[in-house]
Amino acid sequence: METAKIPSKPLPQATPWSAPFWEAAKRGELKVQRCLDCGKPFFYPRIACPHCFSEDLEWVKLSGRGKIYSFSVVFNYAPSAFADDVPYVVAIVELEEGLRMLTNIVTDKPESLRCEMPVQVIFEPAGEDFVLPKFRPVDEA
Amino acid sequence: MSDLKGKVAIIGVGEVPTGKFPDRPCVESALRSARQAIGDAGIDKDLIDFLIPIGAVYSSAYNSDLVCSRIVEELGLKGVRGNAQVFSGGASCSTSLKTAAGLISAGIARVVLVVHSDKLGTGVSTQEGIDLFALAGISKEWEVPFGQHYSSIAGLVTTRYMFETGTTEEQVAAVVVSNRKWAELNPNAMIRKPTTVEEVLSSKVLSTPLHARESNVLADGGSAFIVTDAERAREWVEKPVYLLGDGSRVTHFCLSQEKDITRFGYREAAREAFGMAGLSTSDIDVAEVYDSYPVFEMIALEEMGFMERGESGAWFLEGRTWPGGELPVTTNGGMLSQGHTGAGGGMALLVEAVRQLKGQAGERQVQGARFAVLTSTGGAYVDAHVEILGTEVP
Repeated sequence: METAKIPSKPLPQATPWSAPFWEAAKRGELKVQRCLDCGKPFFYPRIACPHCFSEDLEWVKLSGRGKIYSFSVVFNYAPSAFADDVPYVVAIVELEEGLRMLTNIVTDKPESLRCEMPVQVIFEPAGEDFVLPKFRPVDEA
Repeated sequence: MSDLKGKVAIIGVGEVPTGKFPDRPCVESALRSARQAIGDAGIDKDLIDFLIPIGAVYSSAYNSDLVCSRIVEELGLKGVRGNAQVFSGGASCSTSLKTAAGLISAGIARVVLVVHSDKLGTGVSTQEGIDLFALAGISKEWEVPFGQHYSSIAGLVTTRYMFETGTTEEQVAAVVVSNRKWAELNPNAMIRKPTTVEEVLSSKVLSTPLHARESNVLADGGSAFIVTDAERAREWVEKPVYLLGDGSRVTHFCLSQEKDITRFGYREAAREAFGMAGLSTSDIDVAEVYDSYPVFEMIALEEMGFMERGESGAWFLEGRTWPGGELPVTTNGGMLSQGHTGAGGGMALLVEAVRQLKGQAGERQVQGARFAVLTSTGGAYVDAHVEILGTEVP
């Protein structure tokens, strides 16, 4: 096994239309687009509504509450940039508003995680320019 | 869509052994596989009029050679009118077969050679391979920054699948055992040593609940197949392998956006493919199901309707999918044993399906196999492809 130095964490490769999402995260808010024509919210940001193709969109704030749809605790053979983080938890969280996102669960007890467990958003800085929305089990909050 | 049934056939296949071959140039894997396929078809090489080189992942410089017709020149193919890369990751075998069928049906090509080669076993280090794949088909904005990679993808899918179906970790591990039983009989497979459920579960945990032995192993390899129209196929070869049914769905890019990570698009894809072929699961003699990790083989089998949801684990554990079992599954050993050669994992299953149907599968031969089902998927399991192949048109 190589002993190369740990590369820096990959930061989100943002797009012009996702900028409001990342700006909101810096303020501690979880925001998504909602279509003004069909009324549906969606994640992740798009240039047009993925349901009805309208460009008439607004940004709305979410509650940040959700539940774990699935999770996996990474122990070995993580990508190089994450080698020092193991064990860490990758999860898909289903938000109250019905949207799903990939994230990390921040917990001291990864062995206690279960599907459908309630979680609440927290915000963790990544480098100087980004804040990532992550989640913590409600009973650890 | 049903117009495609029995219209084109695979007339030749080729494959080099999969494994770690540091001294075998990547292009050699392509050339020897292609040459073998041409020999298997027994046709003049200059009858090939269209070449589809599947993408190679280990080196973009090598891949640009493929894009720019290197294989055509190296083999000295004089009748080629077009060289066009088709690349859908692990689903490339299915999308190239669709493309070849379309080109032939439209009269744009008569004889299409599809060839794959990659060098992920020795062309990159283990960690480079992990890092390469951690950026391959995983969203650089929405998933990579959270440490998502292929083991965690398989972990997420396996966790939810076990939660919803009650499948046990022994049953998941049994998929590795089943595939290995077949690999023991496959001289081209990378890992042929017998294994047990206990051995699989005692290997280290990569990303819960996934163990190291439940992960594919990156390998060097190459494979090829030749497609032509059914009339020419009957004229040229003794046993054409017809494309009888084809169905597929693209469901997502980000894993988090797949609406059901315990199902994917196999049910709809299978309905299309079996509908076109006019066959049902009970007609299938051998199922070449894309693995890469155990859970994907289980989901595809169940969603296609070979057993009830949540029951595949018992089938693998009880030996019903093993050599001599009632439903032979992934008879080359799959990527869990034959090895993961990038887009080649799916190609190897197509080659194996053809060998089984032609009665050329050696010790693995499923006696009297007439109909095979083949599945594939690419990237973060973004698509589900199902093909039905057979030696007769029902």
